[in-house]
Amino acid sequence: MTTSTFSKTDEYGFKRPDDFDYLEYEKFMTAYLNYLTRRNMEWISLMIYNPQLKRNSKLKKFVRTGIPLILRGPGWISVSGGQKLKDKYGSNTYRQMLDKPINEDVKNIILVDIPRTYPDNIYFQPNSDNQKALFRILCAFAACNPDIGYCQGLNYIAGLLLLITKNEESCFWLLRVLVENILPDYYSKTMDGVIVDIEVFSRLVKKKCPEVSKHMIALEMPWALVATKWFICLFSEVLPIETTLRVWDCLFYEGSKILFRVGLMLVKHYKHDLLACEDISSLAECFKSIVQQPFPLNCHIFIKQMFTEIGSLPMSLINDLRKQVTAERNAANKSTSKNKKV
Amino acid sequence: MANRAVPQRPNGQTPGKICQFKLVLLGESSVGKSSLVLRFVKGQFHEYQESTIGAAFLTQTIHLNDVAVKFEIWDTAGQERYHSLAPMYYRGAQAAIVVYDITNQDTFERAKNWVKELQRQATPGIVIALAGNKLDLNTMRSVQTDESQTYAYENGLLFMETSAKTSANVTEIFKAIAEKLPKNETTNTAGQGRRLVESEGANKSLSSCCK
Ligand SMILES: Nc1nc2c(ncn2[C@@H]2O[C@H](COP(=O)(O)OP(=O)(O)OP(=O)(O)O)[C@@H](O)[C@H]2O)c(=O)[nH]1
Ligand SMILES: [Mg+2]
Repeated sequence: MTTSTFSKTDEYGFKRPDDFDYLEYEKFMTAYLNYLTRRNMEWISLMIYNPQLKRNSKLKKFVRTGIPLILRGPGWISVSGGQKLKDKYGSNTYRQMLDKPINEDVKNIILVDIPRTYPDNIYFQPNSDNQKALFRILCAFAACNPDIGYCQGLNYIAGLLLLITKNEESCFWLLRVLVENILPDYYSKTMDGVIVDIEVFSRLVKKKCPEVSKHMIALEMPWALVATKWFICLFSEVLPIETTLRVWDCLFYEGSKILFRVGLMLVKHYKHDLLACEDISSLAECFKSIVQQPFPLNCHIFIKQMFTEIGSLPMSLINDLRKQVTAERNAANKSTSKNKKV
Repeated sequence: MANRAVPQRPNGQTPGKICQFKLVLLGESSVGKSSLVLRFVKGQFHEYQESTIGAAFLTQTIHLNDVAVKFEIWDTAGQERYHSLAPMYYRGAQAAIVVYDITNQDTFERAKNWVKELQRQATPGIVIALAGNKLDLNTMRSVQTDESQTYAYENGLLFMETSAKTSANVTEIFKAIAEKLPKNETTNTAGQGRRLVESEGANKSLSSCCK
């Protein structure tokens, strides 16, 4: 598309892929910009009587319509409980954590990963301020979570937080809220939480889209192959950027169950494409391509449908499934260690 | 595509035997697993390659005489804590490339642990290749060729020193694996029906996947 008015990088600094569909994007953006203008007006009036963005059912509904970009940083901090965390530990914490020494090995892995984080993004070029800030955020995070230290994947999350909030300290708190409060044990030394959630997801698919579940088994495709990145990166680097941000709006407000909703929405919407795959290679390709399709690109439709099409997904169900899977894993571990002893 | 593996068969020619194998890459983070795959599959190299989260899946076909060998490549994340996910990825693999960085002794030790684990827990008879990557950084070498060569010999592994950057030995190592994999039972149809389906993964021995 030579006539496209869109540049080769998006507004967040990400390079658009060579095969980027400018035509489809233009179609989407024209409609979405109107939507954004309308939504911003609504948010302005909301802010008049809820300036602190205190959680209530109206705000939840608003968050689902998307937080305006300029409000995202402070918005995420308020709705996620980040502010509470900040109040609890004191606003000096970030400085203190920067001064606290961390394990050299941890520091080295972080160092190696800095230039490997969004290398195509114009705001993450070698020796840029953003790279330095990212390094400090990840080190400070490791300092206050020595049991976790650094887990690959956190670099992408912190990096995107930085691009959006443009504030190092906010990033630090948001990263803490995600890891310490919102996500169960994803980034720990054993990554148990994510292994459990992949299995929980697989059971939810079995329940909501049994054909896809059967098909995955028939083609010997473990959910871990696709879902690990979904969960670890919280769909950053997976979904189109605008959609990722809309997902994060909901994630910060509603918690980790949102991740299941997003995954289920993709599976459900592309059920026929997935079922048409005859071997594992085409299935893997299919999973890579569906996230680039117009449906996930049209973030407002995607998010809307994710709440209307999937049906109810109460936290109690997720918690029950998590408990069940954890218990099964523990039992299996026990029996294998017993066998080893014999 | 100048560095593309072996030229594809020209269209129109009757295809010979097609074999499909699952190959997994293992090794410490940042040793160059994804870079080797990127070089092999796309003939490219990125100075800053993004760290792999979970696993990435790619395919590439090479031709040995009249046999087309299609690799289903599972490129995994290297950080130690992703280890607990690894069995899900190497389950049912017929081949593995265990990668280390010749400038970093620790990565060689980690590679040995991977070899041990594969020999104990992966598909019996799995073809394992050891790749000492970043050969272009020879001047900063800390793992001597002799040492790895001996280790590989004693453990029945294929061994090559490679460079994803210069492409040295990249196609060669995949080719060496292809040559070592069993390729009996011929038919010449592509499509459905793949290698033996195993419900217990590691318990059955390696079998040919040719169609
Ligand atoms: N000089 C040199 N650098 C290399 C070579 N192969 C990879 N690299 C660089 O080493 C870094 C890590 O490479 P990756 O391919 O991402 O390593 P990986 O093993 O996939 O790492 P994880 O995905 O984190 O497990 C990248 O910056 C590459 O550019 C090589 O042969 N020579
Ligand atoms: Mg990699």
